[in-house]
Amino acid sequence: MENVEVDGILVAAHELKGPLATLRQLALSFDGMDTEGERIREEMVNVSERAIRQVNDLTKMRRLEDGLFEMEPVAVRTVCDEVTRELSYLFRENGQKLKVRYKCRNGLVVANRDLLFSVVYNFLLNATHYAEEGSEAEMVVSEVKDRVRVDIRDYGPVLSKDIWKEMRRGWIEKPTSIAMRPGSSGLGLFIASKFSRYMNAKVGAIRHRDGTSFYVELLKSKQASLFDDFCG
Amino acid sequence: MIFVVDDDKVMAKCIARAIPSDVRIFGNAIDAMEALSEELPEMIFLDIMLSGPDGFTFLNEMISYPDTMKIPIVIISSLDFSGQDLSEYGVVGILDKSKMVPEDIERYAEKYARH
Repeated sequence: MENVEVDGILVAAHELKGPLATLRQLALSFDGMDTEGERIREEMVNVSERAIRQVNDLTKMRRLEDGLFEMEPVAVRTVCDEVTRELSYLFRENGQKLKVRYKCRNGLVVANRDLLFSVVYNFLLNATHYAEEGSEAEMVVSEVKDRVRVDIRDYGPVLSKDIWKEMRRGWIEKPTSIAMRPGSSGLGLFIASKFSRYMNAKVGAIRHRDGTSFYVELLKSKQASLFDDFCG
Repeated sequence: MIFVVDDDKVMAKCIARAIPSDVRIFGNAIDAMEALSEELPEMIFLDIMLSGPDGFTFLNEMISYPDTMKIPIVIISSLDFSGQDLSEYGVVGILDKSKMVPEDIERYAEKYARH
């Protein structure tokens, strides 16, 4: 993306963050609500927090270009657990199930914690967006040689071949509406791809007949081998 | 008495609502600075990105007078201040506007202001 474009997005993101934070604070100010009122209040807080997180992702893009994110050993499972916890309400609200399977130990990968959180978050958000009510999404964490892979499978519309090709290359150039996936700007995918690239991680997509899997593969940290010896 | 300095009136009212004592709200740093010559608050909740002189201008003004330099200040901002030590400005806490809850404000008010 051109710098001018990124700067424009950055300004817009900063402008949006203030009102979103105020909305969240307003919702938190309500008290003495009945059960239904309390449920709505919680939903308002959750929705505004989700919007703030997305705005924060946009502001991170400039910091990305300045190389301001430190790479460090990060426990993948811990990050995935946190994202799952944060988004579980949304799956519940949408009448969907989220299955999480860990096929490997809580090994360490070379990543930036915040960026990895955003990548997994955006993939899961994507999954809940496209899964229909009553259906499910699945997150699987597994090991592939010297990498740890996080797969997020949804049962929504199939991914367009063009986007799939871009994903095969390892990143996508700009936010593109994911054709055959209505209501999508492709921004979440673009952000996930950009953040992954910064972390030298590989992102990709698998087209299924009944949905799509998005995945990110991160290099294992050398500290992981020491760590693995002690955790079962 | 506690001062709240924030140009977002709705946010300022939300902050004031969480404070269990008398509050004065100011929409800009100049009005707050003028009020300091009439009354010294027990503490101040301060936004940084203000219209007109910003929060840092206000902080510099505060530490330049002996009677205001020791007033505890809590910064409330959407900017990322992680890892920064602003104690030389009398800053006793930093709250992220997008993450704070009313109890955070209440806790600071109870710690630094009499009721």
